[in-house]
Amino acid sequence: MIKRNTNKLTIIAGCGRLGAELANSISEANGDVIIIDNNKDSLRRLSFSFGGIAIVKDGTDIDVLKQANIEKAHTVIAVTDDENTNIMIALMAKKLFHVKNVILRVNDNSKQALYNDTDIQILCPSELTTKAVKKMIEGGK
Amino acid sequence: MNQHIFIVGNSFQVKSLAESLLNKKHPITIINNDMEFCKELSQIDNMTIVFGDGDKRYVLEDADIGKCDIMIAMTDNDADNLVTCLMAKKIFNVKKTISLVSDVKKTAFFYQMGIDSVVCTTSAITTIIEQQAIMDELATMIPIGEGRVRITKVKVSEDSPIVNKALFDIALPAQSIIACILRGQSSIIPRGSTKILADDMLLLVASIEDEIAAIELITGKSYD
Repeated sequence: MIKRNTNKLTIIAGCGRLGAELANSISEANGDVIIIDNNKDSLRRLSFSFGGIAIVKDGTDIDVLKQANIEKAHTVIAVTDDENTNIMIALMAKKLFHVKNVILRVNDNSKQALYNDTDIQILCPSELTTKAVKKMIEGGK
Repeated sequence: MNQHIFIVGNSFQVKSLAESLLNKKHPITIINNDMEFCKELSQIDNMTIVFGDGDKRYVLEDADIGKCDIMIAMTDNDADNLVTCLMAKKIFNVKKTISLVSDVKKTAFFYQMGIDSVVCTTSAITTIIEQQAIMDELATMIPIGEGRVRITKVKVSEDSPIVNKALFDIALPAQSIIACILRGQSSIIPRGSTKILADDMLLLVASIEDEIAAIELITGKSYD
């Protein structure tokens, strides 16, 4: 039985490899997803069967976010290729629109004071990779 | 008090701002990521130039941001300006942050995030153009207090309905006052009994809501 999450909207800012993969997988699981990228070529990463909505606009524009229904979104994922843009989108989602789950990709933790006082969840690829590699090394011993 | 001012920004505006601040004897540090521009600036005396991105922690540390009293972020990228100011404030306890913003819709959000002053050049210019287009007696408009209050210069022509009237006889809208009268070479801070004369230049301080009504009262014209 395929469960349809009609109530839970996910908005993804940035259709890079990660953004596209997340969008594809949510769409495949029948979730509602809207992906925003201001470069239309990025949207080519979306799978053929992508059933969500793709918007070619500036994801930091408050009007664009409102059009994407951010006020009703359950999750916002900021994964553009620019760290500062991600931080700004995450802060907007959390502080302006009070989105419940906000996920933010950063390059390192040097800017954590900017979001430490919120419950924004952090994705730090280098940190995750380091942990994974350590595990692999220890596993191999 | 000579506040130490840090400026992070794109070349052209940064240079002119820095020079005018130097004239007022403020110590200046400029952070810029264009090496050629940095070399050019380093020719000017009394300015510290740091090459790098203003939103990187190690660059701010290298620039000795502990000394910074005022951080001005004026790149053309709103996200970079926001992050630079927030880092200055939250990590390094810089007292005052000023940010340029190119998207006027972000102004309220920047204030909400704790930026002390937000300047949106596009909206300042469009407002001036709108005003100039409508009112030819107007000279300048300065927005203050997040743009909710404006100071405007209004000229009193001979056929103005308030010529020769005392201030207390002029029914200005509630949220407006005539703060100063420029008459010839003198500037007068008016009292209720001060009379307005033809050719006076009035400095009107008014809220956005009452500004037009006040100007209409002074000029005797109606603007739509």
